[in-house]
Amino acid sequence: MRELIKTYLGLVRSSALVALAYRGRVVIWFLTGFFPLLLMAVWLTVVAGNGPPRGWTVGNFVAYYVAAAVLWHLSGQHVVWDWDEDMRSGDMSVRLLRPVHPFHQYAANDLGYRAVSLAMLLPVLTLAAFLVPGVDYGLTLPRATAVAAAVLLAYVLSLLMASTFALVGFWSTQSTNLWMLWWGVGSFASGWIAPLELMPEWLRTAALVLPFRATMGFPIELLMGRLNGSQVAWGFATGLAWIGVFTGTYRAGWRNGVGRYQAVAG
Amino acid sequence: MAIVVDGLTKHFRVHRRRSGLGASLRGLIRREHVEVRAVEDVTFAIAEGEMVGFLGPNGAGKTTTLKCLTGLLQPTAGLVRVFGHTPHDRDPDFLRQMSLVMGQRNSLFWDLPAMDAFEVNRVIYRIPAGAFSTALDELIALLDLEPLLTKQVRVLSLGERMRCELAGALLHTPRVLFLDEPTLGLDVTAQAAVRAFLRDYNDRHGATVLLTSHYMGDVTALASRVLVIDRGVLRFDGELAALTRAHATHRIIRVRLREPLPATAAAPYGEVVAIDGPVVSLRVPRDETAAVAAQLLAALPVEDVAIEETDIEDVIRAVFSGA
Repeated sequence: MRELIKTYLGLVRSSALVALAYRGRVVIWFLTGFFPLLLMAVWLTVVAGNGPPRGWTVGNFVAYYVAAAVLWHLSGQHVVWDWDEDMRSGDMSVRLLRPVHPFHQYAANDLGYRAVSLAMLLPVLTLAAFLVPGVDYGLTLPRATAVAAAVLLAYVLSLLMASTFALVGFWSTQSTNLWMLWWGVGSFASGWIAPLELMPEWLRTAALVLPFRATMGFPIELLMGRLNGSQVAWGFATGLAWIGVFTGTYRAGWRNGVGRYQAVAG
Repeated sequence: MAIVVDGLTKHFRVHRRRSGLGASLRGLIRREHVEVRAVEDVTFAIAEGEMVGFLGPNGAGKTTTLKCLTGLLQPTAGLVRVFGHTPHDRDPDFLRQMSLVMGQRNSLFWDLPAMDAFEVNRVIYRIPAGAFSTALDELIALLDLEPLLTKQVRVLSLGERMRCELAGALLHTPRVLFLDEPTLGLDVTAQAAVRAFLRDYNDRHGATVLLTSHYMGDVTALASRVLVIDRGVLRFDGELAALTRAHATHRIIRVRLREPLPATAAAPYGEVVAIDGPVVSLRVPRDETAAVAAQLLAALPVEDVAIEETDIEDVIRAVFSGA
């Protein structure tokens, strides 16, 4: 475990260095980090015209989407694109020859990129949360701890989901298309398009058992203090259960898939 | 034995895509697949510390064999062992003992200086600090890397990048080194530097080396034993000299005359392959070499005579053409 942590630190460091190599790219990441605030702007326009939905204030929407901007960055989905590119270019061979499982290489790579982008995004979003009137998460230490655990769970689950879909690349060159289909469904059931409380009843019910809510809606709702004890327990339980499902699926997929690798492009 | 390969077979099932819109539309309904037999029943063994050349034309199965030996590909049939490991099991202990250098592949970070990639290798290969420092110093000296370490990889020339690639691949001092076209695209000077380095590395560390190259110079400089593969089948396994003896049906007699003569004067004794002033080169059947040399000495004003083997490239061409 100690060696694995050292390996992660080394790989995260190099990934962060690569992330910082181009100033223009850093600026663009910084700007794209605010995309969830566009959705917020849409909702605020709706609210301004029709009044806020029951139980939601303007401050709630701002608080929700400020947190969503952070969770959006921790989606881990870049792994699918990196994997796909490596499969096509032949760089997957380089990763397979290293004595570190490619899962860890991609995860560390993603962590390095996230570290750089969040280092820029987090202070701005934190400041915005303090300055915008009506935004008050009312965090207590126990809830802050639970939120930290939920964010970690969200990142691990989304990384595992993306990595599992990336394995499709061993069977088909269309792994990103399949992922986009999955992500498209997930964007409604995760709380990305809109807070789940504002979604139809059937979608809210489905979201409670699907994996997507644990990657975004659950940690945000927890942060905003909108969940009671049993809802918090359910959120963690479903998230952990899905981590178990995707861990098993990833392992089985890897075992069966890596033997099919054709090491194309050199 | 460091490497044992017994009956290695690798077949690929590939999608055959014909050109044109009609074929593309038909491909949506029904896929056509063909089986490519890349390697067929290949058997050889390589002792620890041996340097072996792996020769063959494009598509012969060299790289596929190397990929099976490194664990990138899982054989369709047959046995492969490298230092007792089954490569495609991808045991980290095995991966720490070997390196594959592919001339056309970049394992460094394109946007970072090579030194940053070396640091990553230190971590992932778990190289102790002292051993890393020693290996790095040695590689910097042998490959003249000092001025390159702080430059981004993307600004390095091909030769400079290959030197950095080699250093990165050898920092963990692998016991077995697989080289796939390590001098591809390099100029003559860079090729010579890489060859000298590989020879030196083998001498210092007793590493087992299997090398594929299109440049015969790489093979003749580094390997006394060669494996020749063609259309997936191993055609020859033995000393380079034996390959020459077996397949070089002719020799070259080079005579220096006291004065230049027209080609017609030498033509009755063999095929005139070159005339450079008073130096005439004749290609003659191997078993007639002595007799023809004697005839030349008797009939022409010869100042000096030398008998040479035909170029190894000709020999390889003869092997592949089935001559």
